[in-house]
Amino acid sequence: MSDSKVLMRFTGVGGQGVLLAGEIFAAAKIKTGGQGLKTATYTSQVRGGPTVVDIQLDDEEIYYPYAVDGDVDFMLSVAQMSYVLFKDGVKPGGTIVVDPNLVHPTDEDRKKWNIHEIPIITIAKEEVGNVITQSVVALAIANTMMDAIDKTALVDTMLSKVPAKVHEVNKKAYELGEKYAKEAMTK
Amino acid sequence: MSIREVISTGNELAAIAAVDAGCRFFGGYPLTPSSEVMHVISDLLPKIGGTAIQMEDEIAGICCVIGAAMAGDRALTATSGPGVSLKAENLGLAQMTEVPLVLVNVMRGGPSTGLPTRVSQGDVLQAKNPSHGDYKSITLCAGSLAECYTETVRAFNLADRFMQPVIVLLDETIGHMHGKAVIPTAEAVKEGIVPRKKFDGPADEYFPYECEADEPAVLNPMFEGYRYHFTGLHHDKNGFPTEEIETCRKLIQRLEDKVAMHEDELESYEEFMMDDADVMIVAYGSVSLAAKETIRNLRAEGIKAGLFRPITLWPSPATKMKEYADKIKNVLVVELNIGQYHSEVQRATARLDIDGLFKVNGRAISPNEIAAKVKELY
Repeated sequence: MSDSKVLMRFTGVGGQGVLLAGEIFAAAKIKTGGQGLKTATYTSQVRGGPTVVDIQLDDEEIYYPYAVDGDVDFMLSVAQMSYVLFKDGVKPGGTIVVDPNLVHPTDEDRKKWNIHEIPIITIAKEEVGNVITQSVVALAIANTMMDAIDKTALVDTMLSKVPAKVHEVNKKAYELGEKYAKEAMTK
Repeated sequence: MSIREVISTGNELAAIAAVDAGCRFFGGYPLTPSSEVMHVISDLLPKIGGTAIQMEDEIAGICCVIGAAMAGDRALTATSGPGVSLKAENLGLAQMTEVPLVLVNVMRGGPSTGLPTRVSQGDVLQAKNPSHGDYKSITLCAGSLAECYTETVRAFNLADRFMQPVIVLLDETIGHMHGKAVIPTAEAVKEGIVPRKKFDGPADEYFPYECEADEPAVLNPMFEGYRYHFTGLHHDKNGFPTEEIETCRKLIQRLEDKVAMHEDELESYEEFMMDDADVMIVAYGSVSLAAKETIRNLRAEGIKAGLFRPITLWPSPATKMKEYADKIKNVLVVELNIGQYHSEVQRATARLDIDGLFKVNGRAISPNEIAAKVKELY
């Protein structure tokens, strides 16, 4: 694995919009001159089945399209079953963000990984006012914690993929995600 | 050649490639993990005067594609393994009648309905002989996002050159992965289009199936004043059924020879770090990406591994594989099935000691698994 590589994994259940967040990350990295790749695995139970999205960002060419288990730097999870299935892909000492209303890490997990609890769904639903923006809240949290991509490039890419009428609400979701991530990091 | 950079998925690139290559008809039935090919082309074709039809099932999907191709259109269908099983009879019809078409198969776990959302390379032998009878399949396999585009374009040109179905194999991983691809511009692709041959002499001197022993039929588009007959039965120079002994023999021998005698026009492969390799990994499709990562890692540890990647799977690059296998003792075939191409590598290299790493649980083979196998064996 090259030194410049950032490996992120978003996990949830089908229908939560994690796929789009992965595409935005990959596209933003490519637009800033690097390499970005998103792959996803999901079950034939499209809504409700465990979904995992692997995001690889690198300055060098990316060959293998999935994150290698044990190498993942950052994982964000909004569903218990996906958390349990995929947590072991995160390298020891890596960062995991969970929605505490939906995911319950064990004490063992807390020793092994750097776990932050951020109520992503509640933030999207109540503070942004639209649950669909949870993927943008997640995007902001991941980028703030990993310092992966220039914020302007990422936000511009995100806005290019959503309809103009929801630009403001998505910008708000990004700012809130960033705020909560910064707070969590200082704890 | 002018190039462009795009951010896309393999399935989307295959659909765009078809349109850029002059495809104006799509018929099919959506099937995971190929559905995006149909979604995208259904959006693109009507805007440029083309037609995309969702038929009642996969069988009807290929039947209308055969019809469109008989009328002169470049035509596409897309599906996954279970859909190819349904289309098999009509792939045989297109082989026999020499109707050119392109089929994109985005492979998932099988047999039967298998693992709909999971990656596999289980359709490699199916692509070689989807239906009964003798003919020679042309099957191309994309090993990157860019090749989902370029191999689909190549498939359309080969279909018209050889007048038969051409299969493009993607797999779930490569069809759905989303990233950067550097591909030719649409204008460059358009300049490279070689349309199928046409007869332009008097109608009463036109015999579509009267051709050289190693050349395809010359089928003028229907409704242009040239009358002839299509049948899956053995047929004469006009396309009418016959049981005349020599005509029957010549027809089937020609279906074989029109490909077998021109393998040089079809051969395509990639050599990755093969110059000084003393371990040759043979892999294709998305597995070759894992293999490249493995080779990069193994070389950092001082193990000289290289990749031989067939791009045209059928007919296989047998001569080149043999050339390498005569020099390199350690040969490992890695694939997401239980040795479907392994047996072809054994045949091509005339060696029974070719090793294999196979996986059939719907999950990708990781670079670490390949590296571990290389270290265990050599």
